[in-house]
Amino acid sequence: MKNFREVAAGKKSLKKDYVAVMMWFMGRAIQAAAAVDMAAKKEFAGMPDGFTFALSVMPNGPHMIIGKDQRGFVRYKGWDPDGNKIDLDMKIKNIEAALLLFTFQESTTLATARNRLVVDGDVAHACAVMRILDIVEVYLLPKIIAKLAVKRYSGWSFRRKYLGRVLVYVRSIFSF
Amino acid sequence: MYLPERYEFFCPVKINSGNRALEHVPFELDALNARKPLVVAGKDVGERGLVGVIIDAFKDSGLAIGVYDGVPSAPDLKLIRELFNIYRDRGHDALIAIGGGSAADTAKVLNIAVSGKPEDIEGCAGENLIKKPLKPLIIVPTTAGTGYEVSKYAFFAGRDYASHFLMPNLAVIDPRMTIPEDAVTTAAAALFALTHAAEAYTCPGKNPLADAYAYTAIQLIMANLVNVIGDQRDKNGRLSLANAHAMAGCAFSNVALGVAHKLGKVMGDLCHLPQGLCMGMLLPRVLEREMSEGGYHIADLLLPLAGFDTYASTAADMKARRAVEIIHDLLKDLSAANGGAISRIWKDIQVSEDTLQDIAQRAGVNEASFDIDGCAKILREAREGR
Amino acid sequence: MDMPAYYEFCCRVKIISGHDVLERIPATLAELTARRPMIVTDKGVVGAGLINIVVNAIGNGVDIGAIADDVPPDSDLRIVNSLARLYREKGCDSLLAIGGGSVMDTAKGINIIVSEEADDLMRFSGANALKRALRPLIAIPTTAGTGSEVTLVAVIKDHEKHLKMAFISNFLLPNACVVDSRMTLTLPPAATAATGMDALSHAVEAYTCLAKNPLSDAHALAATRLISENLLKVTLNPGDKEGRLCMASAATLAGIAFGNSMVGMVHTLGHSVGSVCGVPHGACMAILLPYGLEYNMHKNGHLTAELLFPMAGAPVYAATPKEERAQTVIALIRRMNQELYEATGGRHARFFKEALDRDGREMVPKERLPDIAETALRDGSISYNPEDLDYDDFLMVMEAAWEGRPLDTGLIRKG
Repeated sequence: MKNFREVAAGKKSLKKDYVAVMMWFMGRAIQAAAAVDMAAKKEFAGMPDGFTFALSVMPNGPHMIIGKDQRGFVRYKGWDPDGNKIDLDMKIKNIEAALLLFTFQESTTLATARNRLVVDGDVAHACAVMRILDIVEVYLLPKIIAKLAVKRYSGWSFRRKYLGRVLVYVRSIFSF
Repeated sequence: MYLPERYEFFCPVKINSGNRALEHVPFELDALNARKPLVVAGKDVGERGLVGVIIDAFKDSGLAIGVYDGVPSAPDLKLIRELFNIYRDRGHDALIAIGGGSAADTAKVLNIAVSGKPEDIEGCAGENLIKKPLKPLIIVPTTAGTGYEVSKYAFFAGRDYASHFLMPNLAVIDPRMTIPEDAVTTAAAALFALTHAAEAYTCPGKNPLADAYAYTAIQLIMANLVNVIGDQRDKNGRLSLANAHAMAGCAFSNVALGVAHKLGKVMGDLCHLPQGLCMGMLLPRVLEREMSEGGYHIADLLLPLAGFDTYASTAADMKARRAVEIIHDLLKDLSAANGGAISRIWKDIQVSEDTLQDIAQRAGVNEASFDIDGCAKILREAREGR
Repeated sequence: MDMPAYYEFCCRVKIISGHDVLERIPATLAELTARRPMIVTDKGVVGAGLINIVVNAIGNGVDIGAIADDVPPDSDLRIVNSLARLYREKGCDSLLAIGGGSVMDTAKGINIIVSEEADDLMRFSGANALKRALRPLIAIPTTAGTGSEVTLVAVIKDHEKHLKMAFISNFLLPNACVVDSRMTLTLPPAATAATGMDALSHAVEAYTCLAKNPLSDAHALAATRLISENLLKVTLNPGDKEGRLCMASAATLAGIAFGNSMVGMVHTLGHSVGSVCGVPHGACMAILLPYGLEYNMHKNGHLTAELLFPMAGAPVYAATPKEERAQTVIALIRRMNQELYEATGGRHARFFKEALDRDGREMVPKERLPDIAETALRDGSISYNPEDLDYDDFLMVMEAAWEGRPLDTGLIRKG
């Protein structure tokens, strides 16, 4: 038939790569924050040992998987959901929505308000993860961007903000 | 606040509107348990690059789609048969129509066929003759959309259809699709929607749920129409208008059709004018006449037309009059805008007394204050610009 | 008017409203090709004689397969499972849910199990885990408050595993909701006041929180207006049929508004007071609503100000200077609580200290406030609140709401 064509599913490789890198860094930063930041430590303390959560992009990735092991240590567990039993999956509906989030055009709060994120799992734990993401964003982002990314750019102490930031960065990059 | 003794309301349409709205379509299709949509669009839509936007939105979704972008302005049953075969043979399970007009009508009627068999198209023509939900249908309005595309109505190859099952499951309003149009097209579409919303908001069968859609539609049109006509680069304005049109479509699917709609539709068809321009011109005159018959909801119309402050500062007995004046003012502003393009159309309307009687007769309005003579009088007033 | 950069809005439920619309149930079932519904309800509804009204209105044309009339206020997975078994045993093919939030959630849970032929309900938790239409479900609200007859969410607890799971899907929306004034005519004054304030809190938070959009706004405004005009009236005069229908419609409108725009800290704290101390949801909403508006004032005061129009009417709105409107709205809500307190002979609590249970015991002992603040950190509705709250902020708000004094604005940490 004239004017008809079938279009096969395409790819947005570049955008996915960017989001994957951001997620990789974010994942390691969460692991670092869990070790150095008191508030993040407290949030993780509320999760059961062995608890695993993921931030992922629908329909097929990338993923960021964070787990608390049986001894209570928080680990970034990579991007492959296979082999991980995920208790809480926070899914971004598509790669463009993820891009808005990771280019800081939309905060997690706005993404939630705009229904671009879906939570599969216990709501209480999802709240804790949202707060952890906020903490990490404040560490990683310059004030001018972080102020847009979180509702209340908190009055953190000099020590927490700067020493913490250095530690989170160093641990994220060198992964320990 | 007015509340009817009894009412029913049904609007199956989900609205997704704004930045990257189209990229959410795969997720929505999944929620509707569909994975291979057939996109139906008019020739012009393809030529203006809008089909490309949809195709791009489906990248990374893992879904293959079918695209047909050749719907002519007057499609026939042969097209439905061809599209039916494609839909069936290639395993499609949902429809996406881009733009209003014939593409949306084609998709709605095609949906009757693919949800049953092609012969159903004849049996389902008429009022409420579709008995069960159809396949998922998504409408992606463009600026030229009037809201008719999301309504329960369809018109195809000389047949009229009306059923809530024809309404789409989803209307996706994306700024990339609400591209600039010329002033006449923009105004005609908005006045078409304004007429529906205003008539839904003031009709005797109104209810608070249809009102919510109508109220929002009127507000958005009043806040944006004149700006958009003056400056087509007003992207947010165009998005707002497209939203308003879709909402008006939802509202008027839940009330009886109004007098300005009926007269304007026939007038547009007989005089070869955009229906929306005819309806808009008739709207304030129809309201005036209803007002003189004691239609008290017209005072309430001032609220969405002018906002809290003007409504609150206008004396109770002046509210209805003020509402009608505001619509007259809007028409004046539109006439003046864009070098008077719209005003020239209105001035050039050559409607003979015979045609006028013909319109009044054919419109099938049958209400106490709107007999054929009453309708003819309104048409005459509108023609003479009174 | 602001158009959000992105929003979604949907309410697919057919709404049938009026003084005598229960009689439309057989035709509505027939449209859905259902023949043998199971009625799901609770003891309160039965005790008020409402089941008889519904059964009589349905008449002989419909074969009622089963009546499950003991859904507790705090329903859970165990009850959902046992009622699903009953549904199957009796060969039912549809559900009529008559009641408030707990009944609606339970009916939605049953519907998932019987439609999906599932053993494990929790497999369908989260968003969009359901892929096809469920059995026909008709909702008949009896409280003029919760709005859950028009929301696509069901929250079901697993008391054994201490989990609270949310189920979100368009397929959870009832096919139709039948809003009949007879269903709320016998609601006692205190419950009328509390559920009415629940509906008001839905409308007000939907209008003032982060996920608002033009369509939910219009629903919220209409609901606010109907409630402001009718709540005190029906509390004083329970037999006022017109007023009851207005309140029932308002609850549905408010339900659609918050179902699409969500709610904020008033609900966050309200859920927590409910789960820690067992205070009825509506009572919590009534007490907390002014505090939520006060706390968020620096972020959304302009929106609160607009609510003066539907709350007080055009003349008061016009006569109040712009900068005083938001404060006037808060004062009006407090005055509503005071008037409802008087109209119910003191049964409508104005602050938590005076919330008493049936035996006259204090329901919210002051020493529980820290627990409440802690619990609030685990409630999802906080995402939609304009300003952030941590443990200290929740506690600060709760202390004020416990004593019944306005918030000390100096203590609000502004972001």
